[in-house]
Amino acid sequence: MIEFSSLIAGIALLLLLLTAAAKGWLASRPLGPEPAASEEDATEPCPAELVNRIFSREDWEFVRGLKAGGIERLFEQERKRVALVWVCQISAMVRKVMREHAQAARQSKNLRISTEINIFAQFLVLMAVCGILSAAIQLAGPLWLGGLAHFAQRLSQRVSKVQETIRAGALSSAREAGSA
Amino acid sequence: MLSQGIWWSSIVLEVFLLARAASARLIFRYPVFYGYISFVLSQSILRSLVHRWYEQGYKRVYWTTEFLGLAMGCWIVFEVYRVALAAYPGTARMARKILVFLFVLAASKAAAALWSDPHLLVETTPLQVERALRTVQAISIAALVAVFVFYSIPFGRNLRGILLGYGLFVGERVICLTFVPPQGHHFWFYAASASYPVALSLWLFYMWSYQPSPVTKDSLQLEYDYQRIAAATRRRLQETSGYLRRVVRS
Repeated sequence: MIEFSSLIAGIALLLLLLTAAAKGWLASRPLGPEPAASEEDATEPCPAELVNRIFSREDWEFVRGLKAGGIERLFEQERKRVALVWVCQISAMVRKVMREHAQAARQSKNLRISTEINIFAQFLVLMAVCGILSAAIQLAGPLWLGGLAHFAQRLSQRVSKVQETIRAGALSSAREAGSA
Repeated sequence: MLSQGIWWSSIVLEVFLLARAASARLIFRYPVFYGYISFVLSQSILRSLVHRWYEQGYKRVYWTTEFLGLAMGCWIVFEVYRVALAAYPGTARMARKILVFLFVLAASKAAAALWSDPHLLVETTPLQVERALRTVQAISIAALVAVFVFYSIPFGRNLRGILLGYGLFVGERVICLTFVPPQGHHFWFYAASASYPVALSLWLFYMWSYQPSPVTKDSLQLEYDYQRIAAATRRRLQETSGYLRRVVRS
């Protein structure tokens, strides 16, 4: 048992360090990692109407009514692609929120470990939901996933509210520091 | 023959690393790290002399110096933590709490094992003790690296090299010690010995010249705001959890 846990610890450390070295996670980056293009674009989630539309069956039923196999296939492929882009956007937004939170929290002298763990757990849940959603879209297509998509949308909106609070906090602090 | 090769390559690399540190004046920048290298160099020479002139005392000298080296290694990790997080009190606090938790966990596990088997201390070999201690060290380093990565702590080339080299050495050593037999020279025995020259080569590459850790300018005073953010986050999380419950029920 001890041997097995030692082996796991050793392998985990090696993998973590090799990944950190390969991806440059421990490199000189005073303001955190440069966001990917998709992360920079991820300022706010898509409007709810658009998400409704992506996952709604109305358009699908209309296309089916045309009785054209080629158009049906094209519609399915396009809808799947749009849905996957939306999931990527949500997960990029969540990552951005976490990066901003980490940059604000790392300077704070009275950081609370329990709160940080809570936020991290929330992040993991959201990332897991995005992963599951992405896999489900790949497997079943977006038209069958309306409920799950709405759930993810609501969660991400809540996270963006937290992001706004963090921004407002940082700004007011900067103003206070400036006026002092 | 292979043991000799590994031993000599370690000695040469250590001497080269120390000479380079002296010429580039790195030795004054990272005294703990170079203190460790000097210690390992002198321990290798001491062990060799004892092996040659006083063989019956070799085992005792070997294990004493091995555990001293392990303790000095912990000091290196502490130094990396201290230097890297000097400008980040929030992350330092987080790292401290995690490390304390890990050490308490390891100590409790050891105490529980001793409680259930009082003869454990007599029956345990130094190799098993080293493996257990290195495992705790590996978990601690992994936790520290995870904290550094999560909070995007900027590292200079030198500090990064020290952490990567020592972390890889500990990781390799833990894996090798899991398989190394108590007696005889096996593949894993050589692999365990060879992990140190690998770390030395990495250090030589990263510690060729002095490169300070970047200093951040974003020194916002967020104490009050963090409390507010934390309260808002907790409220949002409670709302989300309520929402989740409703979704599951519906």
